[in-house]
Amino acid sequence: MEHGTIEREIFIEASTEVVFDVVSSPEHLREWWPDEAELSGVPGEAGRIGFGDLSEGGDVTWVQFTVVDAVPPRHFSFRWTHDEGETPGPHNSLLVVFELEPAGTGTRLRMTESGFRERDWDEAKAAAQHAEHVTGWDYFLPRLSVYAPKVGAGA
Amino acid sequence: MTTVVDDDLWSAVGDPTRRRLLDLLLADGVATATSLSEHLPVSRQAVAKHLVVLDRVGLVHASSVGREKQFRVDQAQLARAVEQLTEVGAAWDTRLRRIKRLAETIQRGKDAQKTDDDK
Repeated sequence: MEHGTIEREIFIEASTEVVFDVVSSPEHLREWWPDEAELSGVPGEAGRIGFGDLSEGGDVTWVQFTVVDAVPPRHFSFRWTHDEGETPGPHNSLLVVFELEPAGTGTRLRMTESGFRERDWDEAKAAAQHAEHVTGWDYFLPRLSVYAPKVGAGA
Repeated sequence: MTTVVDDDLWSAVGDPTRRRLLDLLLADGVATATSLSEHLPVSRQAVAKHLVVLDRVGLVHASSVGREKQFRVDQAQLARAVEQLTEVGAAWDTRLRRIKRLAETIQRGKDAQKTDDDK
C-alpha cells in the first residue's frame, strides 16, 4: 500500500559521526526538535519526546517515540505518534529514516518520513505546531549561541 | 468516515503517474483518458484506472460529454492534499536546517580543538 512520504536531502559540512550524533542522541535531539527527549536509543525500547513548558506544573505534550534501527554512523530510524503501550508499526505511526553518506568533506543526509494518514498527521501537525511555536528561530538562535561553545569546549 | 477517505487521499497522490495526471489536468483544464494517455508512457486503460482512483477520493470529477468521459481537477480537494504535505514538509525543512547548523557548529568546535591540540 502506498502512503504519503516526505523526502529531503541536505549536505552538511560535518563528519558522518557528528551528524549521526546530532540526529540520534537525546541531548542533541532536544536542540533541533522536541523540548524534552526520553529515549535509550536501543531499538524497540519505548521512549517519548515532549513539547511544551517543562517547568514544574507546565503543560507538556508527550509523543511516543521508538527507535527502529541505529547503525552508527550511517543509519538511524524511528517511529513516532503511536499510542502509549502500543507496538509501533505501519498501521499506527510515522516512520522517519535518516541515512548518512560521506560526501566530500562532509555528509549527505537523507531524511524520509512516511506513513501519513489523517490521524497520524493530525498528531504530527499538532506536535510540530507546538514545537514551532515554542522553538522558532527567534527562540532557537540565542539558545544555540550559548550551546555551541559548550559543545566545542567539550569536544 | 473521514479517516478512510484521507488514507485513500494520501495513497492517491502517492503515485507518480497519478501526480503526473493531475499536472496534465491542471494544465489542460479538462481531458479524457485518451487525450491524457497521449502524454504518458502508459495505455489508455491504465490511465482510466488511475482516474478511477483519483475520482474515488474526489481529486477529479468526471462529466459525460459525447462518447468519452471528461475529467477535471477538484481544486479544493487538491489544495487540501497539497496543504497537508506542504505543512509536514515545512516542519522538516526547519528541523533539518537546525540539524545542519548544529552539526556544523560542533564540527567547527572539534576542528578548532584539534588545531589547538596540534600547536
